[in-house]
Amino acid sequence: MAARREIKWRKILYEHQNVPDNYVDESFLEEMKKNLYIRNYEYWSVVKASGEITQQISSMCLFIVSFIYMDDKRLLPDTLVLITIAVSVVGYIVSKLVDKFTTVDSSDDKNQRTVLEDLKTFVMFTGFSYCLSPVLASLTETISTDTIYAMTTVMLLANLAFHNYGVQAALVSEAFSLNAAIFASVCLASRLPTSWHAFATVLFSLQIFGLWPRLRHKIKETFPAVNVALTVVLGSLTLLALFTVSMVPAVVFILGHVFITFICPAWLISLQPLKNNIHGPWDEAVIKND
Amino acid sequence: MKHSICMVSDFFYPNMGGVESHIYQLSQCVLERGHKVVVVTHAYGEKRGVRYLSNGLKAYYLPFTPFYNQCILPTIFTTFPLLRNIFIREQITIVHGHSAFSTLAHEAMFHASTMGLRTVFTDHSLFGFADASSILTNKVLQFSLSETNHVICVSHTSKENTVLRASIRPQVVSVIPNAVDGTMFTPDPTQRPKDKMNIVMVSRLVYRKGMDLLAAVIPQICSMHPDVQFIIGGEGPKRIVLEEMRESNDLHDRVHLLGAINHKDVRNVLVQGDILINTSLTEAFCIAIVEAACCGLSVVSTRVGGTPEVLPPDLVYFSEPSVKDLVHTLNRAIEDRKRGKFVPPFEAHERIKKIYTWRDVAKRTEIVYNSVMNKVPNDSGERLASFYKCGPLSGKLFVIAAVLNMFLLWVLETFWQPREDIENTTDLKPLQNFRFRRPSKEERTTNDSHMT
Repeated sequence: MAARREIKWRKILYEHQNVPDNYVDESFLEEMKKNLYIRNYEYWSVVKASGEITQQISSMCLFIVSFIYMDDKRLLPDTLVLITIAVSVVGYIVSKLVDKFTTVDSSDDKNQRTVLEDLKTFVMFTGFSYCLSPVLASLTETISTDTIYAMTTVMLLANLAFHNYGVQAALVSEAFSLNAAIFASVCLASRLPTSWHAFATVLFSLQIFGLWPRLRHKIKETFPAVNVALTVVLGSLTLLALFTVSMVPAVVFILGHVFITFICPAWLISLQPLKNNIHGPWDEAVIKND
Repeated sequence: MKHSICMVSDFFYPNMGGVESHIYQLSQCVLERGHKVVVVTHAYGEKRGVRYLSNGLKAYYLPFTPFYNQCILPTIFTTFPLLRNIFIREQITIVHGHSAFSTLAHEAMFHASTMGLRTVFTDHSLFGFADASSILTNKVLQFSLSETNHVICVSHTSKENTVLRASIRPQVVSVIPNAVDGTMFTPDPTQRPKDKMNIVMVSRLVYRKGMDLLAAVIPQICSMHPDVQFIIGGEGPKRIVLEEMRESNDLHDRVHLLGAINHKDVRNVLVQGDILINTSLTEAFCIAIVEAACCGLSVVSTRVGGTPEVLPPDLVYFSEPSVKDLVHTLNRAIEDRKRGKFVPPFEAHERIKKIYTWRDVAKRTEIVYNSVMNKVPNDSGERLASFYKCGPLSGKLFVIAAVLNMFLLWVLETFWQPREDIENTTDLKPLQNFRFRRPSKEERTTNDSHMT
């Protein structure tokens, strides 16, 4: 028996090795590897990346504040439309400048849309929104205010859930999140007195949910440092706006921000040691292109 | 010790594949060793009720409709009355489930454990751990195997995989490889062309079999060796990739796509070739390369899963699963073949035939059957405790399912169909003495009537 044991057991099937079929060799699971493709997170880079989420939450809060202001008649729709258009023009110029900055060395300007094309799109969207605003204003008029608020809440949460934060995931759907936000804005518009109010709300929502995230992505890719400043400025501005409305949402806003920006990243990193991804010869091979 | 074994799987004849022929061949050889075997599967179209196959192998085709990939809908409890009836009627002592994909096998083993019967499970496939579907399947497997008395895997890699997936002790897992029918896969060097070299591939044309690799390898090899031809048997969604490759490289006369081929014709395709190429990306055992070696072909295979364990080194060339290495290795095999540096076909055939026989598989499986019969089965308390340990949430769900099943068993025993009301089947002993005799019409009808 001792002599037999000296012959080393091999991981083969084509020879009987004088051991029972349920023999477990010491080399069992030798080829198993754990956590091969692990990503090491750094606390501050995760904190910076969390800005994506807080920016979107801030934008959403700004939109709600604008509605409350108009509902309280503290904000005229004319002012909101003017602000929207002014900010759009500034944002457009910034966007073009960023484009210039990134496409200095690459020569493919063919994909770039011309100013005329952009203007055409802008006029078209504003025109349609204006023409349809009487319809939009009365569309959900018959629905009770409680239902409207509940629906708006659900739709805005859906916008947050499905928004493209720059991560490849099955849940992400830019079209769905934008549609949810527009739907929320149409719901709210019906609580305001005139169709001009409705137009202002829809236009503002188009800007803050449609155009603003794109500009943010662009800025983030080109100037990551500016992005941090942007998060802070946007957050403070929103906080200020919320304070003027009520104390409670402002405090919740601060707590939420602290949670998302500082506690969640620490949580994520503290959970990393629990990661247990097993690799071994049973894994499906990935075709290498060489 | 004589056993009454019930083989259960969703996969059985008339469906064709590795698991199906495994169950059939194993059943035949276990029958030959004097045990009683019945096969239980779900109905296939018109095939429902009880059928007899060669040598009196009885097969129950249960009236459950397949739901996804030839598996029945997982309902856990609804299969219990019918399966219990069969287990009692056939005086089953061991329930042997096959394939991790088969819902019927898992449910049958669950019910068998509830009834206090011994269970054995054969795992035929490999699984990853990372994606959502594997996590779910692995949880089901853990549930199913936590109370299985013994597990059989087809290769050492498959054993490691199963032990990890189901969190079971490696001592209750035996490695018993698949086998080939040595009388069927015989070499025939006359079928090969004298002036050309044929490279064969017989496989389903799907992503997991590495069709994208093959499509990249073929044009390179064809441009290097003007005398090489490819013969590809099988059908599948990746056929279009191969056709495209053939079209764009103008290889219509050198790459032959045969389409789907019957199992009995596989040998006739194989013997036309000099080399078999296997490009699988994952494989628990890979019976294709064993069949090819048995027909005397040189084998070129990717080094994935259990393939490195299967063939002796002088019969096979291994390659990494990349286009570059496959071309390089296939080149080496072609050169060796041209220089006559290969094991003569009939010698290879004799060797493989001796290594992988179904009789040997049956003998080793019988050892497993004997060992599970010698163990004391778990009582209800131990069963529930082992389920509870499966996970914080799933453990509790498993316990609920197990308790409900015990209750269902009590209802069945007391009210629905007491044990005394179920008639035992006639013993199949006389049939085994007259091998190859078809059961007479009366016998078939009496057995059929038991089903209803």
